[in-house]
Order: sequence, then structure tokens, then C-alpha cells
Amino acid sequence: MKKMFLPVMWVGMASWVLAGCTKEPVNHLTEEETRIYITNHDSTVSFSAFHTFSVADSVAVINDNQFVQRDQNAFDQAFLAALKTQLQARGFTLVDKTAKPDLGINVSRLYNNYTGLVSYTDYYGDYYGYWDPYYWGYPGYSYYFPTYYGVYNITQGGLSVDMFDLKDASGTNQLKYVWNGLVRGEGLFNPANASQEAQALLSQSAYLKTN
Amino acid sequence: MRKRFVFRSLSRAAHPVLLTVLAALAGLAGNAQQGLLRLNLDYAVALPAGAFRDVVSHGSFRGFDASLMYGLNDRVSIGFNTGFQDFYQKYPRQVYTTSDGSDISAVVTNSVQVVPLMAKVQYRLGSSRVWQPYAGLAAGGYSVLYRQYLGEFAGSNNRFRFGFRPELGIYIPFSGQGESGLTISGVYNYLPFHSAGISSMNSFGIRLGASFPIRE
Repeated sequence: MKKMFLPVMWVGMASWVLAGCTKEPVNHLTEEETRIYITNHDSTVSFSAFHTFSVADSVAVINDNQFVQRDQNAFDQAFLAALKTQLQARGFTLVDKTAKPDLGINVSRLYNNYTGLVSYTDYYGDYYGYWDPYYWGYPGYSYYFPTYYGVYNITQGGLSVDMFDLKDASGTNQLKYVWNGLVRGEGLFNPANASQEAQALLSQSAYLKTN
Repeated sequence: MRKRFVFRSLSRAAHPVLLTVLAALAGLAGNAQQGLLRLNLDYAVALPAGAFRDVVSHGSFRGFDASLMYGLNDRVSIGFNTGFQDFYQKYPRQVYTTSDGSDISAVVTNSVQVVPLMAKVQYRLGSSRVWQPYAGLAAGGYSVLYRQYLGEFAGSNNRFRFGFRPELGIYIPFSGQGESGLTISGVYNYLPFHSAGISSMNSFGIRLGASFPIRE
């Protein structure tokens, strides 16, 4: 029995140490690296046909697919300004919405809420080894938890930029989508990141230019 | 009464490499002792091979291997093998175009954990008291947890696949009469994956550990 103890202990220790050494990808990302940028466009559209654009002066806030309000916080202002700068750098001319722009752009902040349930009995099972009953002066005791549950709520955000063809709208009675950009990840709505996010979306859309 | 290792000379006519191959093919295999149950614990390093290098090309230094082996006789032992190997690689930010035409800019991280659950047979080749070469073959299943992260967003593809693992190693007793010793071995994990566009997750491995008896 004594001979069995040491090998079993070694196996247990090796499993615990090495399984714990799994390199968890999320723990090895900087805030910038957590973000992803997704763009789509209508491949039948030639963007050289458009010359002017206008951007909505505020951002739509959408929570669980429900419109909440239009807003213009520090991030919104920084992002809208950066977006205009990026499009102008690609040859488009910024005009007022009353000047019949060729392209119209909406920016939205999207929030999705997820609710989950955690069992404290399972939680206790996972973290058993972290608590030391000796600390409270009760050596040999074990912790007891009744079965009860806790609710947690996670909110995930996204930034969406949608570009529509206004030039040809009158003939079709439709505001046709021509380009969309989506950003997700950490630090998404930090005003300090707004310029970098606008640049990233446009730089991966090389076709988005006037010539 | 526990038997001691008996060292026998191989036939001089037989080439050691040929014997190794034959042992592996015949399903024979390492450091055996009749009636003895042994535990081998190894630190494991692995290097992806073939198509697996398209997923992860970096070597893994996070792994272990464990075998419980029963000696059928002084040369052949059979048993169970398991372990753990963690592969990880982060690629710099790049724009990927998907089949539907979307462009995605992301830092891609591939994370693969492999746990073998295998039957194993070992055949002791050498007869020296100082070091004993052995050949082994493990066959069974690999439990594979494959996750690909785009930024912080993960998609997973977990599979159980059948495969096998030939092994060549050396057992070095801690002392001349000792029943415990050091083991050094090289393995090749043959792991067909055929999922997520990845045909295989083969890898070379190096093991360094100890072997000791746990029961007569």
C-alpha cells in the first residue's frame, strides 16, 4: 500500500501541474489582439462610382436587437471623426446629409446580454484546494456548501458600420447596402482606440476608394 | 520472490534495427520483468509533423506520459498508456478572406490538447546491465481538443481518433540490481484527424522519465 502511494501521488501531481500548464490563448493576448475586424461588401458595386458621403451625426445604441437611443459619447465622437478622416483619405468628399451624398453611413453600438446559472456546489468542487481549513483553526474539517445557484450576466459589445448607396436609391426605392464593417473584442468602446479601429476597418477594404 | 532482470544477448546474426522494426510490427515491445507491474512517468516534448505543422509548427514543451505495464516475461510487457500534450501557436494579425467573401482581420491562435488512451506493448531488446534498449508500440485512441481563436473568439473541434505510436527507448537502471530506472525514448504519434480541413495531427516526441515497480 505504501508502495502505491508514491506513484499515485506522482501521477496526480504531474496531471495537476501539466494540465494547469495548458497555455490558454485568451490569457496570452493583448487587448488589441483580442479584437477582430470583419468587413463585407457588395462585390457587384464599383466604389469609384461614388464620390461623396455623409455620416450620421450620432450613433445608434442597440441592446438585444432593440433600438435604445441615439448617442454621442466620447467614443462615438472620436470614432465618427476618425471614420470621416479615413474615407476622405481614400478620395471621398464629406458633404452634409442635405447635399445628396452618394453614400450614407450609419454607425451602431450593439450590445447582447447573456444570462447564465452557476451552481455553487460545482464551484466549490472546482476550487476546493484553494481554501485551507487550517487557516480558520479547524484542521481536518471540510467545507460544506448547500446546493444553491447564482445568476451571472455577461454583456458583449460590437461596433457596426453600415454604408448604403444613396445615389441610386431613388430609382429602386431601396437604400442598398454596399459595405459593412464590424468590430468586436476588448477595449472596443475606449475613445483611445477609436482611430485605430476606423483605420483597421478601412485598411482591409482596399476596394473602398474613388479611383 | 521478485525476479531480477535477466540480461540476454541478442542473436549476432540479427541486425538490431531489423529486430526493432519486427518487434514493432509484431506488436511486441520494453523493460519487462515477469509478473511485475511497473509505472513509467515521463516528461514529454513533441514536435508537430506533416499537415499538423500548418496548424502548429512550434514544438510543445508542455506534456507528460504515463504507462502502467505488466511484465509477461523478461522481455515483453503489456499495459495501458496515457498522457497529455499541449500545442499552442499564436499568429500575428492578418486579414483572412472567407469563402463567403468576408474579410476578417484577426490574431489567430491555435490550441491543441492531445490525450492518448492506448494499449501498449514493449519489447526489451538489449541485455546490458547499464542500459537496456527497448521498442514499443501503443495503439488506441487519441482524445483531441482543438480550438482556434480569432482574437478572443473561439471555435472548437473536439474529436476522438484512432491511431498508434511506435517507440524506441533506453532504460537505464538507477543501480545495477535496481528495479527502478531512467527512461529516454523517442516516439512518433500517428494521429489521423480528418476534420476542420486538417488531415492529420502527427508528431514526433521525446520522453524523459522514470520507471519503477508498484506491485509484484
